Amino acid sequence: MSQYKIIFTGPVGAGKTTAINAISDVPPVKTDAAASDMTKNRKASTTVAMDYGVMNLAGGEKIHLYGTPGQERFDFMWDILTMGGIGLVLLLDNTRADPFQDMKFFLDTFGKFINDTSVAIGVTQMDLSNKPSIEDYHQQLQGFGLKPPVFAVDAREKNDVSLLVQALLYSLDPGLAG
Amino acid sequence: MSTPTKTPFRIALHGMDSRTCKTMEMYLKGPCRGAAVVVDTMEANIDMIDADHPKARDILDARKVATPDRPIILLSLQNLQLDNTYFIKKPVNVEQILAVLDKIKAVAKARKANAESAKISQTPPKPVDLPEQPKVALPEKVAIDVYVNKSKATKPVDSPEQHKAGKHQSAMQLNEGGFTAFLGTLSNVDFDDETQLLTACYDPRQYFLGYVMSAYKTANLQSRVLQLCSIWKPLTIFPENQEIWVDADDKQTRAFAGMPLVKGSVSNMVLTAVDAAIPIQRAEDKFQDMSAFIWKLAIWTSKGRFPIGLDIQRPVFLERWPNFTRLVITPDALRIAALLIQAPRTPLEVASLLHVKPQYVFVFISACQAIGILKQSERQVDTVIAVAQTKKPKNEGLLSKILNKLRGA
Repeated sequence: MSQYKIIFTGPVGAGKTTAINAISDVPPVKTDAAASDMTKNRKASTTVAMDYGVMNLAGGEKIHLYGTPGQERFDFMWDILTMGGIGLVLLLDNTRADPFQDMKFFLDTFGKFINDTSVAIGVTQMDLSNKPSIEDYHQQLQGFGLKPPVFAVDAREKNDVSLLVQALLYSLDPGLAG
Repeated sequence: MSTPTKTPFRIALHGMDSRTCKTMEMYLKGPCRGAAVVVDTMEANIDMIDADHPKARDILDARKVATPDRPIILLSLQNLQLDNTYFIKKPVNVEQILAVLDKIKAVAKARKANAESAKISQTPPKPVDLPEQPKVALPEKVAIDVYVNKSKATKPVDSPEQHKAGKHQSAMQLNEGGFTAFLGTLSNVDFDDETQLLTACYDPRQYFLGYVMSAYKTANLQSRVLQLCSIWKPLTIFPENQEIWVDADDKQTRAFAGMPLVKGSVSNMVLTAVDAAIPIQRAEDKFQDMSAFIWKLAIWTSKGRFPIGLDIQRPVFLERWPNFTRLVITPDALRIAALLIQAPRTPLEVASLLHVKPQYVFVFISACQAIGILKQSERQVDTVIAVAQTKKPKNEGLLSKILNKLRGA
């Protein structure tokens, strides 16, 4: 069976793990996850490479949700992560000093993948910092020649994350019937 | 490019957390085909440092002192040129890593050969230097870029914003049943009658919506706080924060929005400036985002009709996606948005392509037009050239399953 995945990316603290947790059917596997029975005798915890969740679909298929590690440290896996990816969810933290710089970095880095698939952008922490506005993000995006969905997102809210992923899917095909 | 080696390099990782180390270990083992393995510092013959780590400079200095002959690889987002180091720019890829390992291998080989020839000639051994790299004058503490620090949360938290719960509520989604229950029905329009469809319009100027839109424009133009007084509750507009304040809940607003205004009530509509310097106690939970408020008003006013002045026989398009997570979502709104972002289409064409009811398209374009993100195509060419069918993704069935899952179907 094919392995399909949706990639969640963004800077550290943007809410990737929380967003995956919001829509995953299993608790997401995180850094220093508890060791399985097989390994706990040797080590109290086992370290995994990335955040991971799963959505179980009708018919037994699964969608894998992968969160890329923070870009400042962990970017060497990205080209591998995106293989077989359906699309990209980019989460940006509005409280960071320059979220536009973050956006540019991720759009540049994932440019080919976005070109082949699609991207949806979620802006988190807007209740802590309401500037830049969603409109400001759209204006910045004009420079990239992109018109992706850009939503204010509370990564803890399943509804917010769900809408963002739905918009990503409809960007791929507005004719999709749910 | 390197081939898998029988004696892989032994790399010690520095300035990386345990997760990064694990990933690098997997990366070297898999994509880099075992060209190197990750080991403890004592066993290593190469040091690899994340130069974007806040203490990268200290780590680098310490490694140079501890093992001066050991090659050092620096990973960074910025271009770095430091003496006696090898540089890999992030995002790191296989080719870069293998190229650097090849270089290190070549240097080590040359060293060995030099040492052996020196031994043969019985001359005192000379220290063998690493190949000369471009020397760059460096400050005492080189500015190794620390991306993580530069972009850390440094903005002051906007505390009042946190209390404006009305602005940050998640979207309300209306399904077909909810749409009718939420909006009520229009007794004078039969949306199943194609001839009536073409005239199923409303004039925003005859409703509260038109006055709010006009007041909003004025407040923005004048850049000052304005209050719209009517026979209903006063509505205060704050253009700087793109907010409105009104002491009314959605039920009350919906009822007023749906009523056509009669002449007498229009004459009571007054727009006055508010002195922002005078502190007025306002309940913070009554603040609403301006666009979200106008969006709701437009939906409650439209009830499935399109706004007068919009030619529904001509294509329309969206300049950008609405911020759906903070808006009332009408049936099929996301699909309609995705289609109108791609290319201009007539509203009836949208209904036909997506197999949705025309009133869902009309209500959606009403709301989009009210917040200023919907435009009517002016060019004749848009109406005569058939829009190419969008390419269907290969995994269409799977995407539909994901949608069903997300919607809880």
